[in-house]
Amino acid sequence: MKKYSTLIILALILMLSCEKDDICVETTTPRVIILFNNFDEPENSKELSSLTFWVNENDSIVLNQTIDSLAFPIDLTQNSTQYIFKTNNIKDTINLEYNRKDIFVSRSCGYKTIFEEVQNKSNTFNWMKDITINQTTIENETAAHITILH
Amino acid sequence: MKQLRILPFYISLLTTFIVFSQQEKDTVKTKESYGIRVGIDISKPITTYFEPETKGIELIGDIRLKRNIYAAVELGFDEKTTEEDYLNFTTKGSYLKIGANYNAYKNWVGMNNEIFVGIRYGMSFFEQTLNSYTPNIKGTYFIPDTVNPNTEFKDLTAQWVEFVFGLKVETFKNLYLGASFSVKKMMNTKEPENFKNLYVPGFNRVFLNDMGVGFNYTLSYLIPIVKKKK
Repeated sequence: MKKYSTLIILALILMLSCEKDDICVETTTPRVIILFNNFDEPENSKELSSLTFWVNENDSIVLNQTIDSLAFPIDLTQNSTQYIFKTNNIKDTINLEYNRKDIFVSRSCGYKTIFEEVQNKSNTFNWMKDITINQTTIENETAAHITILH
Repeated sequence: MKQLRILPFYISLLTTFIVFSQQEKDTVKTKESYGIRVGIDISKPITTYFEPETKGIELIGDIRLKRNIYAAVELGFDEKTTEEDYLNFTTKGSYLKIGANYNAYKNWVGMNNEIFVGIRYGMSFFEQTLNSYTPNIKGTYFIPDTVNPNTEFKDLTAQWVEFVFGLKVETFKNLYLGASFSVKKMMNTKEPENFKNLYVPGFNRVFLNDMGVGFNYTLSYLIPIVKKKK
């Protein structure tokens, strides 16, 4: 009886101490996903050559790359973020406006921020020809939120 | 020769009977105390002393109903601030646990020790205060600010079932030292909006699968009311 109980207690302690809620495994604050599509065929993607991309006054996230999609963070401290895209030395900016909402995820992940009522406040049309916001609520990274035609 | 051996056999048989009957007459009729036992959890004031962010007190009591069965109750108050990677919150509230213990220990004459298993139904009334949190974002491009909402979630409740395993030792006359270990399973909680009951008074930390554990170190005094024959 005594031997068994010690074993049971030890097993329980081991089970409970290796809980998975100590590590954050859930998805947290989403990034914005942008697709670069062809203006003539809006369903097809078109690569953007030698793109340099940065946000506000920060360092560049992408430096001189050729890509057809982009995922980038949103500023959690403000309700708008300015994105600057420079391709072949032609610069375009997009000003996104949004409302922030913090959602509880779990003990280890804490809170994540989702963005609601995302809208394109202003943008320039130098190399860009059209911009579409596909989802006004950014809460996950499963689909593209913004499509840019060029 | 044969007769001589049979005779001592009968004599010895007779004497053993006499000895046995004699012993039965000699047996002291022991009495066991039945009464109310009251005490406190001594680990709570100690943790309060060493960890200022934790405050707690727990009163315990039991009544001996049958020889091996005790009705048990625990009543307590708990205040604890929990610090997680992205969160900081304070839980404050009181709790009540009602149940029974079964003593599985066979005492020698005059001893009153216990190795027991028990079951409890626990309930808690509490409030949570979300002191601060930092929104979780991957990467370091944007550094999020820590938010101090100080949101209070009041009138929260929880109910759970608890399995207890422990022992009690009579150290002085009617004074008991005890230790117990419990495994808990949350049955029902009233969760705060956009937050979760990660800590519940009496239940302690709520694990992901709604399980919890607890340790108790108790000091209790038995108020004997009746003495019953063993």
